[in-house]
Amino acid sequence: MKKLINDPFDMVEEMVDGFLSANDDIVKQVGRRSIARVRSPIPGKVGIVVGGGSGHLPAFAGYVGEGMADAAAFGNVFASPPARPVVEATQACDSGAGVLYLYGNYAGDCLNFDKAQDQCREMGMDVRTVVLNDDVASAPKDQADRRRGIGGLFWVFRIAGAKAERMAPLDEVFEIATRANANTRTIGVGLTSCTVPANGRPTFHLEEDEMELGLGIHGEPGIKRQKVAPVDDIVEDMMEMILGDLDYSGRDVALSVNGLGGTPAEELYVVYRKAKEICDANGLRIKHKNVGEMVTALEMAGASISLVRLDDEMDELLTTTVNTCMYKKP
Amino acid sequence: MPTMNGDAVRLLLEQVAIDVESNKDYLCDLDGEVGDGDHGVSMTIGMRAVRRAMDDLPADPSVAEAFQAASDAYAIEVGATIGPLYEVAFESAASATAGKAEVSTVTDWVEIYRAMFDAVQRLGGAELGDKTMLDSFHPAIEKLASLEGQELVPSLQQAANTARAAAEATKDLKPMKGRASRLADRAVGHQDAGATSLAIILESVAAFAANLRD
Repeated sequence: MKKLINDPFDMVEEMVDGFLSANDDIVKQVGRRSIARVRSPIPGKVGIVVGGGSGHLPAFAGYVGEGMADAAAFGNVFASPPARPVVEATQACDSGAGVLYLYGNYAGDCLNFDKAQDQCREMGMDVRTVVLNDDVASAPKDQADRRRGIGGLFWVFRIAGAKAERMAPLDEVFEIATRANANTRTIGVGLTSCTVPANGRPTFHLEEDEMELGLGIHGEPGIKRQKVAPVDDIVEDMMEMILGDLDYSGRDVALSVNGLGGTPAEELYVVYRKAKEICDANGLRIKHKNVGEMVTALEMAGASISLVRLDDEMDELLTTTVNTCMYKKP
Repeated sequence: MPTMNGDAVRLLLEQVAIDVESNKDYLCDLDGEVGDGDHGVSMTIGMRAVRRAMDDLPADPSVAEAFQAASDAYAIEVGATIGPLYEVAFESAASATAGKAEVSTVTDWVEIYRAMFDAVQRLGGAELGDKTMLDSFHPAIEKLASLEGQELVPSLQQAANTARAAAEATKDLKPMKGRASRLADRAVGHQDAGATSLAIILESVAAFAANLRD
C-alpha cells in the first residue's frame, strides 16, 4: 500500500480536519464526524442531509453548500456512519421546516440512517428519506429496491437541493427527490481495485488486461468481467444497459461521466464523447452535463455514466447556482 | 468451575477484542472475495472502541455494565452494518444479565447468546441460511443448550467448535443480505466473513473461560 496517510485508523479523522479547514467559508463542524453549512439552520428552509462511508469524495461532504446539501455525516472508509453523526447533522440543519435524508441504498446506510430518523422524529423533527438506487448493474429491473446508489446521486442531490433552496416545503422536496431518483440510471466500469487504508491490501484483483462491467463503488463485484476493449465499445455496452432500463426516447436528459478516482479527466472526456454520440443518435437532447469526479471509490480506476430523464421542472432546477465545497456552478 | 463476574466479563471482552483484531486481515480477505473487503476493518474499529470502553469502566463493574459499555462502543464508533448489529447484540446481553453477579453456568451463556441472536435477527431481518453471522451462531447456541447442566468450559468450547464448523459450511450458502447478496450465485463457495468473526468471538470466550480456571 502506498498512500499519503499517517496511521490508517486515523485517516478519516485527519481528513475531516483538513476538509473543514479547507472549506471553512462554506461549512462548519457540528459533531466529530458531521458538518453543516456555515449559516445553518437556514430559517424556513428544508434541510438536506447526505452521507455515507468515506472514500467517495466529492460524495458526500463535498456536496454540502448552496444548491445541494445542508449537512453531511462521515462514516469510516466504505462504511456507513453510525446514527449519532447523522442525528447531529439533522439537528444542525433543521429550521423547523423538516429534513430530507438522501443516501445510497446499502444495508449499513439504511440501518443507521433509519435509526437516526427514528431518534430525530422522537425529538419532534419532521424527517423523511429517499434512498437512492441508480445502479442498473446491481440488480435486475424488477428488483430495483435492491439496486445500489452510485454516480447518479450527484443529480438527485442537485435537483432536490435546488428545490429546497427555493424554500419549497418538505413534501415537495421529497417528491422531486423521489422523481429524480426514479428517472436516473447509472452503470459503472472498473479497471483496477482499490485499497481500504485500514485493510492495507487491495480489496480484489483484476488482471492487467481485465475490466469489470457493473463494478460497485466499494469494489463489489459487478456483472461481467472481460478483456479491456476500446472505450467506444465499452461505452456502447454501458449505454445499451442504461437505455434498455428506462425509456428515454425523445426526452431531454442530463448526462454525466464520473471518474472513480484513478482515471484521468482526459479519459473521462473520451467516454463523454462516445456517450454523447449515442444520445444524439437516439434523439436525446442533452440539457445538462457534468464530467469529472462525483462519486469515487478511493483510487479505483474506471468510470460510470449517469443519464437522467428530465421533465421541465428538473430541467429548470438544474439551471440554478451551486456553490458547494467541491462543486460550483455560477 | 470459573467464576465469571463483572470484572471477568470486562477482561473477557478485552480478550475478545484482541482476538478479533488479530484476525483482521483474514476477515478482510474473506469479505473481499464477495463483499467490500472491510469486515475485518469494521470489526477492528469496533473492538478497539470496546477495549477503550473496558478501560474506562469503573472498578468492579457489573456483568451488565460491561456488556452495555461494549454496546455503546459499537454504537458510537462503527456504523456500517455490523455496528448496529453488534450494538443491539451487546445491549441484549446486558439486558439478559441485568442484576446477575456472575455468569458462570452453561444456562447463563445460553441466555446471553440467545438474547444476542434474537436481537441481531430482529434488527437485521435475516433468516437462517441467508449466509450471515446467524448461520454460525444458531447451531452453536443449539449445541450449548444441549449441554445445560454440564461444566462451562468444555461446553463453551464445544459451542465454539460448532460455530467454526458452521462458519466453514457457509461456503455452500447463497447470500441473501448485505452487499454480497447482489451476486448471490458467484458468492457460493466463499465463506461468510460475518459468520466467521462470530465463530472467532465464541472461540475467544471459550479460551478465556478455560484460562480463568487456572
